[in-house]
Amino acid sequence: MQSNRLGWILLAPTMVILFFFGVLPFVYVLWVSFHQWNPFAVDPTMVFNGADNFRKIVFDAAFLNSVGVTVMFVFFAVVSELIIGYFLAQAFMRDFPGKSFFRTIHTLPLIMAPIIVGSVWKLMMTPSIGIIPHYLNLWFGISVNIGTSPAAAFTTIVIMDIWHWTPLVTLTLIAALVSLPADPFEQAQIDGANKRQIFWHITLPMIAPAVVATVFIRLMDALRTVDEVWMLTGGGPGSATRFVGVHIFKEVFPKTNYGYGSTISVIVLYLTIVACWLLYVTMLAPRNSRKG
Amino acid sequence: MNFALKLGTSVLALTLAASAGFAQDADWWKKAAEPYQGVTLRGVTESSPPSLFIREVLAPQFEELTGIRVDVETTSWDQMFDKAIKDMEAGTGIYDMVYIEQDIIYSYLSRNFLTDLSGLLAANPQLKAATYDEANFTTFADYFKDEKGNLYGVPMEAFIKIYLYRTDLFGDPAIQAAFKEQTGKDLAPATTHADYTEIAKFFYEYGQANGLALWGTTVQGHTGHPASWYEYYESVAPTFGIYNWGIDASNNYAASVESGGQMNSDTAKEALQWWLDLRQYAPPETDQSTWTETGTTFGAGRAAQGLIYGENAGWIAADKDKSLVVGKVGVALPPLAEGVLAEVEAGNGYIGYYDGGAFGLPATSKNQEAAALFLQYIGQNEVQPDWAVAAPRVTNTATYDDPKVIAMNTELGGYYDMLKDKGYLFAGAPPYPFHAQLREATAPTFFEILTGALSASDGLDQIAVITEQTLTELGYRK
Repeated sequence: MQSNRLGWILLAPTMVILFFFGVLPFVYVLWVSFHQWNPFAVDPTMVFNGADNFRKIVFDAAFLNSVGVTVMFVFFAVVSELIIGYFLAQAFMRDFPGKSFFRTIHTLPLIMAPIIVGSVWKLMMTPSIGIIPHYLNLWFGISVNIGTSPAAAFTTIVIMDIWHWTPLVTLTLIAALVSLPADPFEQAQIDGANKRQIFWHITLPMIAPAVVATVFIRLMDALRTVDEVWMLTGGGPGSATRFVGVHIFKEVFPKTNYGYGSTISVIVLYLTIVACWLLYVTMLAPRNSRKG
Repeated sequence: MNFALKLGTSVLALTLAASAGFAQDADWWKKAAEPYQGVTLRGVTESSPPSLFIREVLAPQFEELTGIRVDVETTSWDQMFDKAIKDMEAGTGIYDMVYIEQDIIYSYLSRNFLTDLSGLLAANPQLKAATYDEANFTTFADYFKDEKGNLYGVPMEAFIKIYLYRTDLFGDPAIQAAFKEQTGKDLAPATTHADYTEIAKFFYEYGQANGLALWGTTVQGHTGHPASWYEYYESVAPTFGIYNWGIDASNNYAASVESGGQMNSDTAKEALQWWLDLRQYAPPETDQSTWTETGTTFGAGRAAQGLIYGENAGWIAADKDKSLVVGKVGVALPPLAEGVLAEVEAGNGYIGYYDGGAFGLPATSKNQEAAALFLQYIGQNEVQPDWAVAAPRVTNTATYDDPKVIAMNTELGGYYDMLKDKGYLFAGAPPYPFHAQLREATAPTFFEILTGALSASDGLDQIAVITEQTLTELGYRK
């Protein structure tokens, strides 16, 4: 009893903060999502409109387009970060000259604010002055303009995200790999397992919790990406990179469409939870049920 | 002279002015500020040269004079609006001064966000400074008045979007001869759209043929930023005679031709197509150019002509640290369709954008009187000349006659003369309380036109429909 009470007392400050800064705002957003509310409309008050916003969202081509490009972005970015991050983690597990230096350099993008990352990449990608289009043209004769080519803009954002966030994946996987016991690997080698078999049947299952946690974090981050895209393309060309975060921003802030913007936020939260749940079910639940 | 140096010089000049010119008023300011000792005024504004002058020069000067502390937060355009609107909407009273861009004033007034400065000073005569007079402002101040003529913001920047051209290129005898040979015309700033295109094409080909990083024109053509939307609706469409975005507010906010508007009229489509076609003669960065980048392009000597915001014209024409075309810049009126100038001079319409902003006093401010003192301080004639030299902007009529400003006018190729003499031909954004809402509703379609996914004709047809739909949803169109 004593330790239970102490636990609650220790948890109380966190729970109070979570309640005021997490639960209450969420409940408010949920409440607003059932209203029509634009403070610059003729009627600036909140008008309850039931599920109208939710009905509207199903047929909203702009929203559906933003979800589509976001899902594509999340898929390409997170999968690439996972693969590259794993190989980098494996590389950093070994000793090589200058390892500390490279690990520090490799981690540097993580400390940069997304808005700065977007600015730097914009400078690098602007036709005429950007170093990347310049050398792509000079060396390979490739003309790249993220202001006119949707594919170039999308690809650039994926690469920018990989550059920015792969170090996080690497660091997490290094932590997971370092903590693995040596015995199973030694036994597998004695039994004649090859590298691929060791990876699929020992390494991956053992680091799966870390992988899933990393994917969760990156998935949630990627789904709400705004700053970098805002700086680099503003959502263009056209709507090619109008990710759902940018779409919500434009709906809520410049357009001050608070009611509908809140609805989109709630739906996106729901989609994020479903995506995470699916990921959990496919990657961890079978493993846990086998344990049981 | 770079901006930092100008700021330093201004600090020195204003310090001297404070000890001499303002001496007779110093006692009044000190006495008026006595009840507000210990007060800290907070303002939020866009990080632009005029605002930086307030933060670095005028605010410290006011503090020294009155003892009232002034913290001015300078941030990005988006953040500034976000912070100001949230503060005023929630009634938190964090800010005592907010930057009001000309195009947002009608939205703020519709929500009663601002304090009537004229009314406040009339009700509190002890706060009224003798050196402050609303009559000192140029007519630009009218944008910040209500229908009764009461002022809701002290103008702090005002400029027009002008036609800037390279005098060195236009005046080069060899280039003039080549142009004459190619077109049969004398090379001079364009007065018609066809001439403008012809000049753009000529300089584009001239740059290509001579291996120069020179293009025919700037185009503010970002494919994902509202700057492109603004260039068309506020700077290009009016030159074809399409005013107020093509919306007829007096006719139930009609936008489409079918309803009585002009948003998708043949003239509007012709205007858009003309502007889109200019991109072939503009530098490659055009598709990512906002109002800042067009200035940068021109300042880097990469365009022979362009429509440029006056706030950038200053450094382009005079700042050797930032511009490669110092002393090589001329100003002219934008090219116009036949009959537009006569129509505008008759008082119907405008030929381009008169931009700027004011410092307003939020109704939610907890320091109304102290803020009113500061706003009067920055509105005095005495502080204007150094401000105009540091950051080209004129809000008070007397500023034009100051020797420093006259000298600056020469550096700017006569920009201040044009602002003074032809400013009446330009206009700010239409008085729509739904400005940002409509822009954001139509911008995605506009961007599709820019990328070529939609033709100008189909795109404008869609935009007219979206406009009427949005205005109906907002309750403005019945």
